[in-house]
This record gives sequence, structure tokens and C-alpha cells, in this order.
Amino acid sequence: MRVGVFICHCGNNIAGTVDVAKVAEEARNMPGVQFATDYMYTCSEPGQEEIKEAIQREQLDRVVVAACSPRMHELTFRRTVEKAGLNRYFFEMANIREHVSWVGEDKDLNTNKAIEAVKLAVEKVKQNKPLFPSSFEVNKRVLVIGGGVAGMQAAIDCAEGGLQVVMVEKSPSIGGMMARLDKTFPTVDCSICILGPKMVDVSQHDNITLHAYSEVEEIKGYVGNYQVKIRKKATYVDWTKCTGCGECTEKCPSKDAYDHFNYGVAPTTAITIPFPQAIPKKATIDPTYCRQFVRGKCGVCAKICPADAIDYEMKDEIVTEEVGAIITASGYGLIDLDRLPEYGGGRYPDVVSGIQYERLLNASGPTEGHILRPSDKEEPKTIVFVSCAGSRDKSIGIPYCSNFCCMYIAKEAILTRDHIPDSKVYVFYMDIRSPGKGYDEFTRRAQEEYGVRYVRGRVARVFPKGKKMIVKGVDTLLGTQIEVEADLVVLATAVTAAPGAPQLAEKLRISYDQHAFYVESHPKLRPVETNTSGVFLAGCCQGPKDIPASVGQGSAAAAKVLSLFSRDMLESDPAVANVNINVCVGCRKCINTCPYGAIEEEELRDGRIVAKVLETVCAGCGVCTSTCPCGAIQLQHFTDNQLLAEVNALCLS
Amino acid sequence: MSVVAGKELRIVGFLCNWCSYGGADTAGVSRFKQPSDLRIIRVPCSGRVDPLFVVKALLNGADGVLVAGCHPNDCHYSEGNFYARRRLEMLKKFLSYMGIDDKRFHYTWVSASEGARWQQVVTDFTKQIHALGPLHQKEEAGD
Amino acid sequence: MTQKKLKEVVQKVLPDVDMVIGYRQGFDPVHATPFFVTRPEQIDELIWNPLCVHNLASYIPSLTTNKKVAVIVKGCDSRAINQYLQENLINRENLVVIGIPCSGVVSVSKVLKAVDHQIIESVSCENHAVTVKTSQGEKKLSVSDVSPDKCKTCLYPTPLVYDHLVGDPITSDKEPESVYDEVRSFEEKSLEDRFQFWKTELDRCIRCYACRNACPMCICQDRCIAESRDPHWVTQKTNQTEKFMYHMIHALHLAGRCVECEECTRVCPMEIPVAKIKKKINMEMDQLFDYKAGLNAEDTPPMYTFKVDEETIEEHEL
Repeated sequence: MRVGVFICHCGNNIAGTVDVAKVAEEARNMPGVQFATDYMYTCSEPGQEEIKEAIQREQLDRVVVAACSPRMHELTFRRTVEKAGLNRYFFEMANIREHVSWVGEDKDLNTNKAIEAVKLAVEKVKQNKPLFPSSFEVNKRVLVIGGGVAGMQAAIDCAEGGLQVVMVEKSPSIGGMMARLDKTFPTVDCSICILGPKMVDVSQHDNITLHAYSEVEEIKGYVGNYQVKIRKKATYVDWTKCTGCGECTEKCPSKDAYDHFNYGVAPTTAITIPFPQAIPKKATIDPTYCRQFVRGKCGVCAKICPADAIDYEMKDEIVTEEVGAIITASGYGLIDLDRLPEYGGGRYPDVVSGIQYERLLNASGPTEGHILRPSDKEEPKTIVFVSCAGSRDKSIGIPYCSNFCCMYIAKEAILTRDHIPDSKVYVFYMDIRSPGKGYDEFTRRAQEEYGVRYVRGRVARVFPKGKKMIVKGVDTLLGTQIEVEADLVVLATAVTAAPGAPQLAEKLRISYDQHAFYVESHPKLRPVETNTSGVFLAGCCQGPKDIPASVGQGSAAAAKVLSLFSRDMLESDPAVANVNINVCVGCRKCINTCPYGAIEEEELRDGRIVAKVLETVCAGCGVCTSTCPCGAIQLQHFTDNQLLAEVNALCLS
Repeated sequence: MSVVAGKELRIVGFLCNWCSYGGADTAGVSRFKQPSDLRIIRVPCSGRVDPLFVVKALLNGADGVLVAGCHPNDCHYSEGNFYARRRLEMLKKFLSYMGIDDKRFHYTWVSASEGARWQQVVTDFTKQIHALGPLHQKEEAGD
Repeated sequence: MTQKKLKEVVQKVLPDVDMVIGYRQGFDPVHATPFFVTRPEQIDELIWNPLCVHNLASYIPSLTTNKKVAVIVKGCDSRAINQYLQENLINRENLVVIGIPCSGVVSVSKVLKAVDHQIIESVSCENHAVTVKTSQGEKKLSVSDVSPDKCKTCLYPTPLVYDHLVGDPITSDKEPESVYDEVRSFEEKSLEDRFQFWKTELDRCIRCYACRNACPMCICQDRCIAESRDPHWVTQKTNQTEKFMYHMIHALHLAGRCVECEECTRVCPMEIPVAKIKKKINMEMDQLFDYKAGLNAEDTPPMYTFKVDEETIEEHEL
């Protein structure tokens, strides 16, 4: 074994508090070290040349560089040694900058510590084995989970890029939250008018297959080769026959079904088409409210359907799609009004959430665009908006800001003043967050042009008094308590993760934070990737954000997928786990504990069961290696013997 | 390999590559000074740390062992640190039964941005080991 | 008599299986020995008495892959079967479990001590006593006086899993807390005293690995890391460090798996209280994860699973 050791000065960063010449001198005495030197800036081009030349000249077969953190330059030096003809895994780095020179003050202690760090690296590299990546084919189809604006953008971009796209949407229609909005800020564009064409693109694009009213059931496989089971839920209406004429909804006798699209601000029929611009424009029966299902007698829709599309016997169907990458655009949820009882949420019908108010404003909503109080259908004259209803509140476990409420409150306030010119509109706020293009001008317009009264202060309580709701709060700029007699109260309810987010994350094998928002690879530099290769994020599932940000992330995720698929073959990371079948006893403990399901059973010719690692799925965590009782499965490059070499170097005298 | 006599004790650290090693790097970048005793072994995940590594170190000359990983729920590999938490908790309770002071073994969760916290952990743990003194598990003359 | 009923049950079961594993008289009057019955003529040699100490469940994993096997188990032995089922190590369809409720067995080393290690000429057994004859005369020993420690705190005298039960179920009259009494009293010693205790005990260890080989849960004993250079955890040096290391490996690998059958202590030729090490970890598994090994086949051993929120594990402060 001929190990070469290169001690970096890193200018004065290391050499200032570590005697690098002494470290090199001690390194020369270490068993197996053929050559050791120190150098000013090892990562620079001449520095790397020096390493390559030394490898040739001294016929080195392994290299240790003592410098900065491997998280910084391990890849750099791996490439260097590879260019000199060595396998890149015959390289180790000793961190003597971040962990030694920058944190210790005593030069003698630092030098000793650096020498020991080098010794550790030398002992480890002597145990290293050459590793060779393998290539595997990639299936150039992509799954998009979620048919909101982020998902649709991702799907369209991928489809336009020539990829086959499968979209899964759990509600009966695509469109997501944006389809529910009346207008969008700051341009006050009609939401469905700008969204509609995208929805049509998705439904009509040759490359996009849409599974609506469907959910992801199970995901097997690995990047480039996923097998996804999708549950197409029973709509009890044959969508191949349904024309979306709407006769059934007009005649359905069950009229108090919960309306998911309208967030319950008004009831709907048991058989329903969610909204006029729904795509697919097909009817769906909610069996919890349908009299045929609950009582066993009705059948009105089946009788009158001109296309004979009703099928009460329909069952869920499972289809399997094979894809190479997955974009998760599963959207967000909102907290229940019940969680805000101090604001009257869930108690009084005239206290509504922002999204419910949006449905009242919408011309295709339950009140045909007239703002009417849910209690008595009268037009309200005094409307109060409450910002941060739940957001930024540690006491209910939502410490974060929900991103877009300040903006939509301004929009809804402006629209209210438009709809009801003699209305008095109040907004109770803590801050006004309007960072986007034209956003601050928009919120100013609400105050200056539209006369919306912004009150800086929180609301303490909302309670009824006769037909009115009393909003009791404080105006901190005036320094006084204030009470407003409102006809209607709108709460900007906090954004949460979408219902079922943790379960979906587990199927995808991605991480989620304590609020169940999905975790990106890097908060600054990799916002649409996850740490699971092949799975990308777009939109609010990653954190609350407004429409332009969601659309941007949709396109970004599509770009990532297109770049992933730009080659026909992908290279797998060879630092994965490996099973020695002579030692494996088939106890299956590794299979049961692998976080990625990357290990499966293999039956040998003599009937023995052993473990087998799926190299492309293995992420290299090493839980299997620490679980295995007989050391049969070893994570390459961090094997027991390699780590033991380091422990022994430190402990045995 | 001997520690600088009288000044240092042998403290071995197993740090997970993604969070705690990054946290130690951040402490370095911020120049947060720490006692020099700790020697760091990098592992991909705290789930890679078999409790036997801790035992091997303590029985063979280490005076203290520190294991650091990502905060539960933040593991780069989703679940590795959940296994680590259970196994290392079990080890911590077991060590003193065999006559090894459980204060010589500490496991904690440090994220890549927690440089100041890393400095605190290293300083406090080093102090703790120095207060306990060297652990004499030297072999007698073997047969 | 239970022994007679046992033979009747085995008579019924033998035609459907390749072998029945039970006990017969061993190489001397005070030892029973495992017995593999393959022919009906052999059934008569089966015995059931307080000498039947071996955990016969240990044979099951290697046999049920391709043979149909019936095995006779006591309560403690049956926990091993449940543990095998939890870990999916045996083929349940190939196994017939003949359970015998047990009121205690003897520890041969305690019997030998009680008769001053005189050569034993004969032993006759009743349910709760054994009468031992040596050249110095007869001595009647109550089983509970010479039983292994496990019998004194036995909570499961009736097998927890069986296809046939020979005899009436016995309920335990022991306090559940008593199982870990010895752990708690050991922990009252000082740290130094504890270390000295293990130093003294383990000093006698000759690394024969009998404890590992007798353990029902050590199914990887042929590939044990204590005897391997790849990975190289333990050297062949016979010093304190390596002896401690071996026993820590054994105990840690049994964390959340040890069914407390105490075979390890029984087979140790140097009379080291090997099971005592495991007891501590078992107590922790119970306290931390509300888990006792081998109680039912649907549990998951705690070291191979996790909870996202662990109520019993707090972050440690320095």
C-alpha cells in the first residue's frame, strides 16, 4: 500500500494555528504512507496538479488530503485522483480547518489534533475498496400528483418538453384552490378565466393522461423506474358516458350535502358537478348524502340521466402507471374554523373564512356573486376582515406566516367595496406583508383609493349581538380598544399542510417538517428537489406561497425532470450497501428496517434465503449495516472494518 | 496514538454527515472556539452508529464518546435517527450496569446551522469528561 | 400423570410430522437430554420431570425450513417460539407445538452443590421435589430450592403458544415486578462495585461461546461477529477488554429479543451469570417501550422499529 498525504496550508487558515510541516513529517512515519508533503492551496489548479504528479511519480495507490471539510471539497479531490488514474474511492479527507485550526487556539494541541486526524484518514483509506457505479435505464414518463396551478404548470411544461405525463388529482376536477378564487391579486384578473385555458391544455394535451377523483395508493421502485398504484375512486357515474349536462344535479332531492368546492359555505346536492368550468366536467355522487346509498331508495338521477351513466354498483379501481420521476404538487389545507372559537369560528354562520368569502364573491358561487350573509341572506353593510387568524400563533402550533393572506384580504376588501359601494370595510392587521411586484401598491390602493379602514391591532373576541357580530379589538396606533358592529366577519384562516400530507410523504419516502410541509433538499439553493432522488416538489406542499411562486416552482420542477431525463441511462452511486451471501443468515432484519425499502429477499439455488440490495434504491444511510447481527450487509465506503480502523487508530495505544 | 498528557482526554465523536458534521463545520466557519480533545469520525447517518462502536471505543481507550445526528424528523434519510435514538437510549441506560459511567456517553441532535450549539455541546461534554477523569479500561497482562 | 398424557399426545402427533423433539434420560441420573423421536417405538423413552431444563425451541429454526417438526415446550421455552414468529424466523405451518405447563425445573449445578458434588447414583422425581441418592445417602430437595433463578420469578408457567396442551394450565403466583428485582438490587451497588463484579465474573470467561450457542435467539451463531475478521470487532486476545466486548456484543444483539430462558447461564461451564447482563436491557425495553420479548407473535421487537414521537425518551442535557 502506498498512501500519499497532502497537508494543505489553506493560506493562513490552517497554517496559522497548525504546524503543517510537522504534520507532514509525522505523516511520513505512519505505516503505509509512502509520501507526505504540505502545500499552500491544495484545491487550486497547481495544487491538484501537484497531487496528480505525486501519484505518478511515487506510484501512490491511495491519497489523503488534510484540508477543509470534505463537505466542501471531497468531490473536487475525488475527481483529481480519478484523473490521475485511481479509483475515486481511494481518497479520504481529514478536516483540519473547520474542526481544528479554526476552533482551537493552542498550536501544539492543534498540531497534535491535526496529526491524529490525518492518522484516522490514513487508516480509513487503507481499508477502502474501489467502487464502480453502474448504469440503469430511465423510464421517461413523469407522475404529477395534484392538479392545482403548480401541478398543471409542471405537467404542461413536461408535456411540451416531449415527456409523457400522468396526473393524479384527488378531487373530481382539476384547478385546485385557484379555481375557487373570484379574482387574483394584484391585477384583479378573473381567476378561472386565466386558469381555464391551462386546465383545458392539461385535459387536451396528447402527452397528458389525467386521473381525476384518484389518489396515489402505493409507490414502488426507484428513480427512473417507479411503479405507482393509483386508486381511481368510485364516482358512481360512468364518466365515459356522462356528458356533464347537469340534469341530475337539478333533480337530486338530497340538497344538504357538504360542498367541498365551496368549503361548506353553502350546501349542495348529493350528485354534483363541482363548478361550471370543471375539468373533467362530469358528475360525482357523494355516498354519505345520497339517499340511494343511505336509505336504499331514490334512484332519481339514474332514471333521468339521458346518457344512462349512473352506476350505483361502481367500485374503486386500481391502475398501475410506470414512471421515471414524480412531481409532488399536492397543495395546502386551511385550519378548521372550529379552531378559532374566540373569533366565533364554527359557532356563528356570519363568521366565514377567506376562501368561503371568495366563493360568495364568485359569480358562479352559491350566491351568484352577491355578497350575502349566510344567516339571513341579507346584504352586509359592515364587513370586518381579521388577518392572521391562526397564523403566527405559537399557542395553536402555527408559528409561521401563511404568506398570501395580507394580499387576498386587500383584494377581497377592494372587491367588497366594489360590490357594495356604501359598505364600511375594516381590516384588523398586525403587519401588511406585500413583497411582490405591484403588491405594496395594491395594498395601498385598498386603503387610499377604496377607503378600506386598516386597523393595526389584533381582535380579541367576536360575539353576536342581535343580528350583528361585535368585533372587539384594539387599535395600537391610536392606543385604544375598539369595537366594530359587523354584519359579516371574514377570518384569514391559517394555511396548513394538505390533509393526508404525511401519509403521501411516507409513500414517496420524502421528509416533512413538524407542520407536515415537505422538506426541500436545500432551503436556499434547491427549493424544488427532495433528498429522495426522482421526487420533486412544486407549490404549497413545500410551504405556503402565492400563485406566481407556485407556477414558478411548477416550471422549475419540470425543468429538473427534463434534465434528469436528458440522458437515456442514469449512473447509480456505488457507495451503497452490499450483502455477503456467505455470511447472511436470512433473518431479514435489514429488510424490515431499511428506510427506503431498498433490500429484498433472494432465494439462492440451494433454497437459502438471503438479502439482496437494490443498488439504485439504496440511499447509503447504513441503518442496515448497524442492524445486521452478523455483519453480512455492509454499507460500502463506511463498512464496519473501515469505521473500526478509525476507532482503533484513536483508541488502541 | 496518545493524547497530549495532562491536557487532553480521549473523546471520540461520531457525527452524521448531513446535520451534525455540518453543524461542526458551521461552528468552525464562525470560529467558535472549543476544547481540542474531540476527534471526529464521519458517518453518513446517526443510524449507522451501531451501539457497539461506542462500546468498542470506551473499552479500548476512549474516555468519552459523543454521537450526534439530525433532529428527529429532519433525518436526511428520513428514519435513520429514529433507530439511532432508540438504540443509543438503550445503550445509555445499559452502560452503568456494566460499571461504565453513563456520563461518558452522550448523544444529541445538532442541525447543520447550529454552530453555537455545537460549540456548547463540545465544550460541556469535554468538561464533563475531564470532571470524570480518565477511564482506566487498560488490560492487565493478558495470557 | 403428565408424562403419560405426554406420550399419548406424541402418539397422536407423530404420524403427521417428521420428528417430535422432547426429553429423555441423559448420560447420568441427574441430566435429561433432548430426544428426537422419529419412530413410535421411541415414544416410551420420553420423560417429563423437573430435570427437563433444556429449551428445545432452539432446534426449530434450522429444522422447519423443510421438515415438519413437533416440539415440547415449557412456558419459558414458548416465549422463544413467539419471538421467532415476531422475527419471521420459522415456518409456522411446519411446526406443531406441544405445550406443558411447568411448575419449575432444577438447576443441575445447584443440585450438585446441595449434595457436595458427590457422584449421584439415582434421582427420583415428583412434581415439586427430587430425591437424590449418593454414596452418602438420600436427600430430598424441594424443586424451588434448587431451581434456576428464572423459576423463582416465573410469570408464564403455561406456554403462551401451543397446538396441544398437556396438563392443566398453571397460573403464576409471582409478582410481575419481581422479574427485575435482581437488576434493581444490583443497581444499588456503586459504579465501581458493579465494574468489579463484572470484572471478576467475566475473568473466568473462556470464550467457549456456549452461552451464544445455547441461546434460542442467536440464529446467526455460525456467522457470529465475535469470531470473524470481517468485520473485525473482537480479537482473539484473552484479556478483559475482549471478554467484556464479547459479552456486550451478545447482550446488545439480544436487546428486545431475549426471552429470559436463561439457557446461557445454565450452559456456562464457568458459572458466569450471563443472563444477568441481559436482564438489565430487558428491564429497559419494558420501561422504555412497554415491551417484553416473546409474549405474542404480532409484536415488533423495539430495536427494529420506532415511533416518530417517543414519549419515554427525553433529550439528554449535559
